[in-house]
Amino acid sequence: MKTGHSAFSLRRINAITVNTLTELTRLKVFYFLLVFAVLLIGSSMFMAQLTFQQEFQILKDVSLGAMSIFTSLLAIVATARLIPQDIEDRTVYTILAKPVPRFEYVLGKIAGVLLLLAIGTVVMSAVFFLVLYAREQTLLHVTMRQTAAAPREQVEEALRAVRASAFDIDIVPGIVIIYLKACLLAALTLFVSTFATTNIFTIVVMAFIYFIGHLQAIAREYWLQTHSSALVTRIFLAIVALLFPDLQAFNLVDDIVAGTAISLGLFFKTAVLGVFYTTIYTLLAAFVFYGKEL
Amino acid sequence: MPPAASRFDMTDPAVAVRGLTKTFPVPFHRQSIVAVRDLDLRVESGEVYGLLGPNGSGKSTTLKIILGLVSPTRGRTEIFGRDSRLVESREAVGFLPENPYFYKYLTGEETLRFFGRLCGLGGALLKSRINELLNLVGLTKARKRRLGTYSKGMLQRIGLAQALIHDPKLVVLDEPTAGVDPAGSREIRDLILDLRRRGITVLLSSHLLAQAQEICDRVGILADGVLVREGRLQELIAIENQSELVIADASPPLIDEIESLVNRSNAKLIERRKSTTTLERLFLEATKNDQARMTKPE
Repeated sequence: MKTGHSAFSLRRINAITVNTLTELTRLKVFYFLLVFAVLLIGSSMFMAQLTFQQEFQILKDVSLGAMSIFTSLLAIVATARLIPQDIEDRTVYTILAKPVPRFEYVLGKIAGVLLLLAIGTVVMSAVFFLVLYAREQTLLHVTMRQTAAAPREQVEEALRAVRASAFDIDIVPGIVIIYLKACLLAALTLFVSTFATTNIFTIVVMAFIYFIGHLQAIAREYWLQTHSSALVTRIFLAIVALLFPDLQAFNLVDDIVAGTAISLGLFFKTAVLGVFYTTIYTLLAAFVFYGKEL
Repeated sequence: MPPAASRFDMTDPAVAVRGLTKTFPVPFHRQSIVAVRDLDLRVESGEVYGLLGPNGSGKSTTLKIILGLVSPTRGRTEIFGRDSRLVESREAVGFLPENPYFYKYLTGEETLRFFGRLCGLGGALLKSRINELLNLVGLTKARKRRLGTYSKGMLQRIGLAQALIHDPKLVVLDEPTAGVDPAGSREIRDLILDLRRRGITVLLSSHLLAQAQEICDRVGILADGVLVREGRLQELIAIENQSELVIADASPPLIDEIESLVNRSNAKLIERRKSTTTLERLFLEATKNDQARMTKPE
């Protein structure tokens, strides 16, 4: 039988990735979160009975906020059980007794979660854009009706205002950053789960990290303003930043809702930060799992 | 690419364990638990080797170290001459863990495809291998059923099939018949004997001694992590100064004559009794007849 062993095999990683994705799509929590997010996005269009600018603002705020929370929750809940469950069920023995390096197993697992998050994000974005488009079309018709007797320039101006309030190109990079934040959280959860004893422990630790991650930027600013900015302080803060990623840096939703343009520089800086953290935590997870006694 | 077997030196023993010790630290205590102590073991290519012992004697730990799942505290283990900590050594090994639990949402066929891909197989080769193995373990009809609906015996058989997916030269089975009914157990026993006929080395752990006696060429007995006995089964269980004669259709006068012949010599007759079947055979025969009655048309 031709089964020559290679140190790195995309076929093996792909097999684990596809299997992880299949496993996760069978989790009821995934459907629950997705349905909940879809409901929230869908219902947000009925919440506002204000001016169209306010209505679009609320729609974007609620939808992007819900996407951020649900992808983060999905990343933590779905990842927390992956490796511990395989160990508990002994399926990990059967997999690692094959010529599969442990880092490939970890890579396959995280790739499966990232794929799931990508699918979730795309589905939620599609629903969001559909709702946004539907409301835009409705409001365009209403505006045309209301300004039927007005001069042509005034009508054009009113329609332009509706279109400008509806779709904003900055939503797209905003969603990419939401996805990258979820990837970071998934990789960090995978890392914690390699040494955690229970799923609950992993989820509790991740809940702490989530809140610390969102608050640490404020705490850092306060610390640097009220205390010295000596080298030791900066090193300490850098270590804290590595252990607890600055999740607030991934929050571009407020800027998008406020209509502030996201610069290309800010987008790339945040995206690189997300990829960097995801890579580091995946490598740490692979390192801990490599030395784990099964 | 050369076949897996040819890249391993088949003149080396299938498994060689030298001076193996494994200790597990106890949290918040200075001392640690010794699971295996100074173990030397050698499984020759082509034989069925039984690692026997009570629960907690170190059988599973030894197997896990051989498979590279657990690292040894001291000593070395090799598979066909290769350090078993190396991932490529597992190319020659198939493993069935105790009470295996596979992904319930996969069908029998998908399970074999998943494990085949992990071994680098694909395309027509994998497809034909899946068909061959499903046929070998008698699960062709259940190939599209999810594993969640499989019985314990069926799970053991699909487990054996995944262990064989990449045509390994060594199969490691941890308690292969644990929790399986006598009929399922007999099927697994027959499959193991079939593997031996094909020249595949089998290393199995068990505490079901009657079964081990039926299939093993050599056995090693572990107690508290120490190998207390090892050797060819027939040599280990033979009673040097005793012999058995099993005679069919002998009349009572003939038996009496043999007995008096023994009494006239220096030998001593220890026991005279009717031959019996085993409880397992009786059970299998009885349930087979029962099955036949149930399927017989009115």
